[in-house]
Amino acid sequence: MNIWHSIRRHAEDNFILASLILLILFFGFSSDNFFSVITLTTILNQLPALTVVTVGMTLVLIVAGIDLSVGSVMGFCAAVVGVAAVAWGLPLWMAFLMGLGTGLICGAVNGLLVAYLSLPSFIVTLGMLEMARGLAYMTTGSQTTYIGSQIQSLALPLPGIGVSAALIFAIVLVIAAQLVLTKTVLGRYLVAIGTNEQAARMSGIDPRPYRLMVLAVSGALAGIAGIFNAAYLGSADPNAGIGLELSAIAAAVIGGTSLMGGRGSIIGAFAGVLIIAVLQNGLAQIGVSEPTKRLITGAVIIIAVLIDRWRAKHASAS
Amino acid sequence: MTESARLSISNLDKAFAAPVLIGVNLTIARGEVHAIVGENGAGKSTLVNILAGNLQKDDGEISLDGNIYEPQGPRDSYAAGIACAAQELSSIETLSVAENISLRALPKKKFVIDIIDEGALNAKALKLMQRVGLQNIDPTSSTEALSLADRQLLEIAKAISFDCQLLILDEPTAALTTPQADHLHSIVADLAAAGTSIIYISHRLDDVLAVADNVSVLRDGELVVTTSTKQTSVPDLVGEMTGRNQTTATERRDRVSDAGVVLDVTDLTTGDLPHAINLTLKSGEIVGLAGLAGAGRSELLSALFGLVPLTGGTVRRMNNGAEHAVLNAGQAVRNGIAYLGEDRQSMGLFPGQSLLTNMMVPGSVDTKTLQYIDKKRERADGARFVEKLSIRCNNLAQDIRQLSGGNQQKALIARWLHRDSDILLLDEPTRGVDVGTKNAIYDLLIRLRQKGKTIVMASSEIDELTTVCDRILVLSDRKLVRSFERSDFSEQDILAAAFSEFTASVDNQSTSTSRVASPQR
Ligand SMILES: Nc1ncnc2c1ncn2[C@@H]1O[C@H](COP(=O)(O)OP(=O)(O)OP(=O)(O)O)[C@@H](O)[C@H]1O
Ligand SMILES: [Mg+2]
Repeated sequence: MNIWHSIRRHAEDNFILASLILLILFFGFSSDNFFSVITLTTILNQLPALTVVTVGMTLVLIVAGIDLSVGSVMGFCAAVVGVAAVAWGLPLWMAFLMGLGTGLICGAVNGLLVAYLSLPSFIVTLGMLEMARGLAYMTTGSQTTYIGSQIQSLALPLPGIGVSAALIFAIVLVIAAQLVLTKTVLGRYLVAIGTNEQAARMSGIDPRPYRLMVLAVSGALAGIAGIFNAAYLGSADPNAGIGLELSAIAAAVIGGTSLMGGRGSIIGAFAGVLIIAVLQNGLAQIGVSEPTKRLITGAVIIIAVLIDRWRAKHASAS
Repeated sequence: MTESARLSISNLDKAFAAPVLIGVNLTIARGEVHAIVGENGAGKSTLVNILAGNLQKDDGEISLDGNIYEPQGPRDSYAAGIACAAQELSSIETLSVAENISLRALPKKKFVIDIIDEGALNAKALKLMQRVGLQNIDPTSSTEALSLADRQLLEIAKAISFDCQLLILDEPTAALTTPQADHLHSIVADLAAAGTSIIYISHRLDDVLAVADNVSVLRDGELVVTTSTKQTSVPDLVGEMTGRNQTTATERRDRVSDAGVVLDVTDLTTGDLPHAINLTLKSGEIVGLAGLAGAGRSELLSALFGLVPLTGGTVRRMNNGAEHAVLNAGQAVRNGIAYLGEDRQSMGLFPGQSLLTNMMVPGSVDTKTLQYIDKKRERADGARFVEKLSIRCNNLAQDIRQLSGGNQQKALIARWLHRDSDILLLDEPTRGVDVGTKNAIYDLLIRLRQKGKTIVMASSEIDELTTVCDRILVLSDRKLVRSFERSDFSEQDILAAAFSEFTASVDNQSTSTSRVASPQR
C-alpha cells in the first residue's frame, strides 16, 4: 500500500535519526544529569562550527572530492577575526567579513587548483591544511588573542528563544543546503559529476565551475566556523579546529555520504554531527575516560558505515 | 556409451525482485554453436552471469560434461573450462593490452622470486591479438587509448586466452563493423570445429542464423523454443521473441526542399582527424556516418559536439538567424545539440542513480542551474519514455545498474529525447537494443525528422543506415570520402567506399600504423 510504503521508506531514511534518539535515551537513563539544561546547552554550543563545516564537507564529498583543510582554515579565519578586531581595532562586523573572506579565498585557491589544474583534492587541501595552520600562527604570533565579551553574544542563547544566533544560522544553512541538493538542478548536477564525471561532461555539464564552487563554499563555511569558534571562546585561538576535518568527514559518512562521490545527504550529515556531539558529551557524563571515549567514538563511526552498507545492499535487493 | 552433453541446464530459476529466469532447460553438445536471442531484459545476460559464476542460481541444475556444476565465483568457472566475454567490457584501463589479456594467468619466471615474464606475456598477447584482428596494436600500449571496437576484440582475445570447453560470447559484435564481425565468426567456426562449445548471444539475427547451429529464444525469462537455425528465419525468431507479429510501417514523408542549414562545418580538423572535413546539416534530415573501425566516425561526432579541441576550421550552429561557434560541450547543449556516446558505461550512465535521474540529467531545454525540479512532471515524462521505448524496469526509482544493457541504452536515448534538442549526434544509438525496439527507435527518428530535427548517426550496421537515413557519408581512414543520396544507396558501394582509403594505404604502412601509435587526446 502507498501509505505503508512511505512509512517504511521514512523509517529507513531516518535510521540515523532513530539511532540518535536511542543514543540520547541511553545517556539520559544512564546518567543523572544528561537531560539537564547545562548538558544540552554545552552540546548545542559546540554544534554550529562543526555543523557548517560538515555541510561544506558533504558537498565536496558528493562531487567525489575531499577538503582536508577545513580545520586549519577555520583556525586561520578565527585568527584573522581576532587580529582584525583587536590589533587593528576594526568593528566586529568588518572583522567577521574579513574572516569570511579569508575562508572564501582559501577555498577558492583549493578549488582553482583542483578544478582548473586537475590536481587531486586530497593533495591540494592537505597542502592548504599545512599552510593555513602556519598562517594562523603567523597572524596571532602563536598567542591566543582575547577579543572581548561583545563577540560572545553570537554564541550565547538568545533571550526568549534559548538557542544562539550561531546555531540558528547553522540550522537554516542545513535546511537550505538540503533543499539545494535534493530539489534543484544544481544539486542534481553535483550528484551527476560525483557519479560519473565523463558522462556529466558529455551531458553538457562542465564539471570545473562546480568543483571550484563546492571547494570555495567549503572554505567560506570554514571561515564562518572560525567566526563561531572565536565567538564561543571569546578569543582567537590559533590552535582552533585541529582535527576538525576528521570529525566533519566522520559526521558526513555516518549520515550516509559516500567517499566515492555521488551520494550524500546534508540532513543525514547533520544527524551525524549530533550523534558525534551526543556521544562525546554523554560518554563524558557517565565518566568514561578520554582514551575510552576515543575508542568508542571510532568504533561507532565504523559500525555506522557498516550498517549503512548493509542497508544499501538490502534496499537494492528487495 | 552415449556421450554426455557439454552443458546441460534443467529447470533453472533466478529471481531478483521479479523472476528473471523461469524453469530454463537447455542442452548444448560438444562443438555446437548455440545462439540465445531475446528482447532486452529477457534474461540472457543473467543466464551468462550464472554460468560464469558471477550470480548464483535460485534453483535448478547445471551440469558440465556430465558433472554437476555449481560455481561459487568466477574462479570456479575458469577451473571448469568456461570462458566468457561479457556484454559490458571489463578491461582495466591502467594496464597494458597484454596484461589485460593474461590477467588471470600471468606468465612467470624465476628471478630470485617469481616475476612476470614480460617476453612471454607480450608474445602470447600478440598471438591472440593477431587471431582476433588486433594485429596493428602494440601489446604493451595502455588499454585507455583503444577504441570501443578494439576493446570488444580485446575482450574476446581475453576469453580465448585459455583452452576452454565452453565459450560464452554475450553480444560480441555490438560494437564491431561487418568485416570485424565476419572475422569473429570465422574464429567461432574454427573453435567449434576443434570441439569447443559456444554460446552466442546477439541482437543481430542474421548473424545468428549464419553462425549458430541451434538457436534458443528467451521471452520474459522463459525459454520458449529451441530450433535448428536451418529451420527458422528472422521473422520467425522475432515472432517468438516478442510473442506477436512484427509490424513495421514507417511512413516517410518527402523532405522539405527549402530546409534551412542548422550546422555548418568548414575545414574541420582535430588531432584525430587530420584531413579537412566540410559538411552542412539541414533541418529535417537524417545523415548517416558509415565507415570501418577506426575510420573516424566517433571522432567526427565528438568534434561536432565540442568534446575535442579543433586544430583547424569551424563548427557553426545556425539557429533562427543567430550563429554561434560550438567550442565546448556546454555550448553545444545550450544550442540544442545532443550527443550520445558510443560507450554507455563510461560516457553516459550515472551508475547508482535511479533510472529517472539518468533520463533527466541534462534537464529539458529551459533548465537553469538554480531552479527547482518539478518532480511530478519529471515522473510523468519518465513514465512516458518508459512506455514509448518499452524500457523494462521495476519502477523509475530503480538503480540504472540493475537494468539490462539494452534497456540502459534506451534510457540514454530518452535523455536526449526529453531534452528536445534540434540536432542529435548519435553514435551507435541501437547498440545492444533488440530488434523490436530498434524498429521503434527508427520510427521515432523518422518522426523527429518529420518535425524538423536533424539527426546524425554513426552505425556499423549499414542496413540500419540505409533504412533510416536521407544521405550517408562514408569515412575511410579518417577522411570523408563519399556521400550517397537515398536514391543511390547500395550496400556494396558504401562498403567499397569505406574500404577505399584503407586499401589505398596498405602499401603505405605508415598511415595505418600511425593511427595506432598516435595517443588519443
Ligand atoms: N541486480 C539486479 N537487480 C534487479 N533486477 C535485475 C538485476 N540484474 C538484472 N535485473 C533484471 O533482470 C532482467 C534480465 O536482465 P538481463 O541483463 O539478463 O537481460 P538481457 O536479456 O541480457 O537483456 P539485453 O538484451 O538488454 O542485454 C532485466 O529486467 C533486469 O532489469
Ligand atoms: Mg544482456
